[in-house]
Amino acid sequence: MRSSSSITFRSAGLALALLVFQVAASRASVDDAHSFALQSAEPYVKEGYQVREDYWGGDLGVGEKKAVRQQLFKGNDYWFWMGTEVEPAKVSVHVYDADGKLCEQQDSWQKGHFAAAHVVPKGTGSYFIIVAVESSPEERTHWALVYGFR
Amino acid sequence: MRPFVNTFLTCLLALLPAAAWAADPPRSIDVKHLSKNIEDVVVPLPNEIFGALNKLDSVNWKEFVRTNKGTNFTERPRIALLLGTVIADGFIAVQAEDAPSVKEIGQRVLSLARGIGVGNSIVPHAKAITEAADRRDWPAVRLELDRTQNSVQQAMNEVRDEKLSQLVSLGGWLRGTQVLTAVVNRHFSTEGAELLHQPDLLDYFQRKTSNMPEFNIPLLGQIRGALVEVKPLIDVDKPISAASVKRVNEITTRLDEGIITRK
Repeated sequence: MRSSSSITFRSAGLALALLVFQVAASRASVDDAHSFALQSAEPYVKEGYQVREDYWGGDLGVGEKKAVRQQLFKGNDYWFWMGTEVEPAKVSVHVYDADGKLCEQQDSWQKGHFAAAHVVPKGTGSYFIIVAVESSPEERTHWALVYGFR
Repeated sequence: MRPFVNTFLTCLLALLPAAAWAADPPRSIDVKHLSKNIEDVVVPLPNEIFGALNKLDSVNWKEFVRTNKGTNFTERPRIALLLGTVIADGFIAVQAEDAPSVKEIGQRVLSLARGIGVGNSIVPHAKAITEAADRRDWPAVRLELDRTQNSVQQAMNEVRDEKLSQLVSLGGWLRGTQVLTAVVNRHFSTEGAELLHQPDLLDYFQRKTSNMPEFNIPLLGQIRGALVEVKPLIDVDKPISAASVKRVNEITTRLDEGIITRK
């Protein structure tokens, strides 16, 4: 009886430790992705863009896409930067207006595990930012998206 | 804005072929197939709106600077609303390039954050605000104000006070909207009024405030009622009228008074 309790206790402890490790690992990866997204944004800060502290993040499978709706203001100039810590991965970010029309500028870019979309809104209102993992050696790829404006 | 997955709309764009997307993004998508859930929309910073406003017209920001210390509350939701408002005041003082006011506001933010138990998280930011204001480094002050709000909200989220965190955003948005409408009301332009076109943000705040039964304060009831009143004024397909701008200003001014004073 004593031995069985001890084993149960140890197993529960091990499971808890594993869970804590998994949560920490998951968080660390999104944090890493965030660092890469910020790295993409860095050169733009010198051009006067204020990069928001808040960011979006998560994980996606290859070919999977997600959307976030964001309020943008006419008169401002926005960049959305996406990054992942999975260096062989390829990610993309694109912006659509409330009618679903692609509305990003020509200088938007995609370079491997970094991507960025530039928007100069023609009107104030809601826009859709669509993020995707195009290819990746990982089953699920952590990513983060930050934005800046000036 | 809260980080991670819950900030996203949950839908996938199943109708868009992945291969085609990878090569070249579609010129258009069917937004009706996207979820209407905008629960985790990112609330813009006040200076995001002020910056757009500045490009339309020259604004005398000094007349909107406010540093009075206001009332000291003990109710945490009231402190959270006030905290958001005071951070917005910080952005206004930066627009006015008023260093003494910025420093005063930085200290007030710290004191309010302490009032809801998250002061420690913003001590370094308050210090950085003061130092940047002394250098008159306005981009740095703006960055620190954003960091302040973010740190306060993260600290609240960590102790499962997400609803208080939402009230901080709401307080800032209300104060920003009050100043936006005051400016546009004074020198009306269709372009200025268009900055009020924020229906999704309004939906977001309506949803959030209707899910706070534990905060039994009359002010929150007034805010809920006001959001209902504002919605048809700004959620329109035609240009927002001067009369609507004036009305939104009256409503937000009334709420602002409610937030900063004990009534």
